[in-house]
Amino acid sequence: MTTVSRSIGPWLARRVLGGVLTIGVASVVIYGSLRLVPGDQAATLAGGRRLSAEQVEALRERYGLDDPFLTSYGRWIAGVLRGDLGISTVYQDSVGTLLSSRLGISVALIVYSATLTVLLGLAVALLGAVRGGAVGRFTTALTSGAVATPPFVAAIVLLSVFSVQLGWFPVTGAGEGFLDRLWHLTLPALSMALVAFGVLARVAQASFTEQLRREHVEVARSRGIGTAAIVRRHVVRNSLGPVLTLVGLLVAALFVGTAVVETAYGINGIGSFLVSSVSRQDFPVVQAISLIAVTLFVLMSLVVDLLMPVVDPGVQKERVRA
Amino acid sequence: MTLTLPALRTRRGTSRARRRPVAVLLSGGFLVVVAAVAALAPVLAPHSPDATSLLDSFLLPGAPGHLLGTDSTGRDTLSRLMYGARLSLLAPLGVVALATIAGVTLGLLAARGPGWLDVLLSRAMDVVFAFPGLLLAMLAIAVFGRGLTAPMIALAIAYTPFVGRVVRSLALQESARPYVESYQVMGFGRLAVTLRHVLPNLTPVIAAQSALAFGYALIDLATLSFLGLGVRPPQSDWGSMIAQAQPALLQGLPWPAVVPGIAVLLTVVAVNVLGDHLGNSVGRTGERS
Amino acid sequence: MRTVHSDAPVVRSTDPAPAPVLSVEGLTLSVRGAAGPVPLLADVSLTVAQGETVGLVGESGSGKSLTVRSAMGMLPSTATTSGRVVVRGTDVLRAGGQALRDLRRSAVSMVFQDPRAAVNPVRRIGDYLTEGLRAAGTPRGQARAEAVALLEKVGLRDPEKAMRQHPYEFSGGMLQRVVIAGALSVRPSLLLADEPTTALDVTTQAEVVALLKDLQAERGMGLVFVTHDLGLAAAVCDRVYVMYAGRIVEQAPSAELFRAPAHPYTAALLEAHPSLHGPRRQLRAIGGRPLALAEAPSGCSFRDRCPQAVDACTEGVPALRRHGDSVAACIRPGRENWT
Repeated sequence: MTTVSRSIGPWLARRVLGGVLTIGVASVVIYGSLRLVPGDQAATLAGGRRLSAEQVEALRERYGLDDPFLTSYGRWIAGVLRGDLGISTVYQDSVGTLLSSRLGISVALIVYSATLTVLLGLAVALLGAVRGGAVGRFTTALTSGAVATPPFVAAIVLLSVFSVQLGWFPVTGAGEGFLDRLWHLTLPALSMALVAFGVLARVAQASFTEQLRREHVEVARSRGIGTAAIVRRHVVRNSLGPVLTLVGLLVAALFVGTAVVETAYGINGIGSFLVSSVSRQDFPVVQAISLIAVTLFVLMSLVVDLLMPVVDPGVQKERVRA
Repeated sequence: MTLTLPALRTRRGTSRARRRPVAVLLSGGFLVVVAAVAALAPVLAPHSPDATSLLDSFLLPGAPGHLLGTDSTGRDTLSRLMYGARLSLLAPLGVVALATIAGVTLGLLAARGPGWLDVLLSRAMDVVFAFPGLLLAMLAIAVFGRGLTAPMIALAIAYTPFVGRVVRSLALQESARPYVESYQVMGFGRLAVTLRHVLPNLTPVIAAQSALAFGYALIDLATLSFLGLGVRPPQSDWGSMIAQAQPALLQGLPWPAVVPGIAVLLTVVAVNVLGDHLGNSVGRTGERS
Repeated sequence: MRTVHSDAPVVRSTDPAPAPVLSVEGLTLSVRGAAGPVPLLADVSLTVAQGETVGLVGESGSGKSLTVRSAMGMLPSTATTSGRVVVRGTDVLRAGGQALRDLRRSAVSMVFQDPRAAVNPVRRIGDYLTEGLRAAGTPRGQARAEAVALLEKVGLRDPEKAMRQHPYEFSGGMLQRVVIAGALSVRPSLLLADEPTTALDVTTQAEVVALLKDLQAERGMGLVFVTHDLGLAAAVCDRVYVMYAGRIVEQAPSAELFRAPAHPYTAALLEAHPSLHGPRRQLRAIGGRPLALAEAPSGCSFRDRCPQAVDACTEGVPALRRHGDSVAACIRPGRENWT
């Protein structure tokens, strides 16, 4: 194992460096966006409050508006690396504090939603691929619809049917305690999971179907292996590569998806905070959340790439060779 | 089965190909109708989309004179849907046009240009790819304020790698084919070969990617409107119709919100079916050659 | 359906061998096509005795792969069949799912053409080898020990290490040895080899063939060797069946087949093949292209390509008839009758 990890060393170094570079460039774009604001940026940062000349000067000083771009960017990114995400212009409070009080509920929502996505997505894909025929066409139609349903449409339909008409689920809020929270988050998690579920199920069904036609599956059949074992050991196992790649991307996308769903269900998390901060031009908050989203995306794809040799042994060889 | 049954395989292939166009034709027809309705909204709409009438508020679909019902202020849902289709379709169309032009240009430059340019452009596309479209659009709105132009440009940038990466990798494959080299040996310029031979061979794939991007853009723009970050009143699109109807929905009157929701859903399904069909037919010819 | 046995004296093997390990009797098979049933096999009969090596030779589309696969009950999903395929007393065509699985776990094994496609690329070699045994209920430890012993037997240098390796770490020839070991793991009495050397380098082909022959002799299995290479078949097999367009057109002891082909198709195959031995002669390609049963003309399927064809060849499918030690489906069998 040590020799193997040493031989993929160069690959890993390149891969990590590429990720850091991506985050770095993205952070420049994110921080630089403030400088693009038309008109007086200090007025924007004042957030509509009427400020005295000294206060404006203090603002310009604090956000480094009079320094060269790279200087103020350097100060910002150094702060970010130390864990200091700046001060919200609206709340006049540390962005870190504001985010951490909202992070838990959003993470719970993402984890719940990702779990639903993976479980339902793989189950439906397996059903469609193994049964084929009319069942396969039905699952394809189902997932085509899921892919095309914007989360906010799913949110209002689920709200209307299950909360307002049937009264099975609460209309708003996040709940207290584990079970109550689960109950409150079920509809939001479903709304958010719908598109991801559709995408995952489509790709997984295509992959399962392809694997079922592969010769090694026929060979396994010729050796008297039962259907359940073939599906588990050969079909699902061999599709883990594309499935894993997609799950990584989808989970990263769920982070931004919280913006819509939390707004629709009145949940006070990172997503709804992003939306309100965007409309109030609370730049330090918007920048911090954007940076987290991009970092999450890069991290997820790195994790997926690192896990890939475990599910697809041939990958390792290519990397060593490359 | 690894049996070689060429005769059977082609026959089965055609029967599947015959089945697919039904969904494809339906989708194409639906989109043509939606586009026509959007274009002819002033002629076709039974009411003014902004005419309020408190006496007629919250009529259910099927009510006389209001086929799809009315909203909280008595505005005719069908008329609003028809007018709303204009922005709902035009805005994503603009996004996709920009993203396609940029993506094709950058993809071809990366594939057919000098090596350092490929490294640079591929890196740049990686960076943009790390921004979800909705996030980039919200960032643009934070900078430039509410409206359509800024998020449209932001989404166009976000979708550029979606087209550009595919164009790049296919153009690289295409360049490896012998005919490209033989043209260049014959003295045709690199640019001429790229535009006259490489690009035309990529059009179906580009069309497929653009169609899928249109669906995403429609969803993203409608989402922004729903979040109150997109179009400003008095302009409205399907997303803002849903946002405005949400309070009524919570009181048990879902139709003004559900109708435009269904419109978004059907349009995106239709566009995806077309996109998938284009993508698949490309895959099939690619296999054959 | 015409019975071709009616006026044919002998169809079976020349020796009255003990109960055959495989006996295919009048197998006719068609699959569902868009425009009705498509026939693929017509009245195929063959037997394989214990310890015997039988060749099945034909061009692609002749139905040879389908015929051996029928011995495992691996038929296309829309297939309809008549006739019998008997392995160790079980009629495979009528066996249920569990009976088929039991048969495949204990009596019949198959070696496939392309080892790269046959072995699941993401699982370890040890996994591939023990899978069949585990399915048959062998305890894990014992299955593993047997797998290691088998790898040693098929000539892998470090079997313990190989057990932990993945398919991509092996050459095609080595991987085919693994596939053979996997096929032997269930101690089959019948081994089916479907073009086992076609996907391999020329140098490894001979090694794999030799290995198959050694193992067969050692274990006394019946071996069916499917190939499109008549020369290879003659070198490896005791008897050879030649298939054309879904039918068996000739059956003969290997030596006899070479010395005196009884069917014009066999003769044409031999002439299309370069030989290292004997006088140098001109190679002659067979005119036209190989046909599937569905496309075959009435009468003798081969008549359109046959240099010996006469008017009578259009009248019905020729029955198998004896000619010396051979049996051939031709109305004028044997070179001495040809013009």
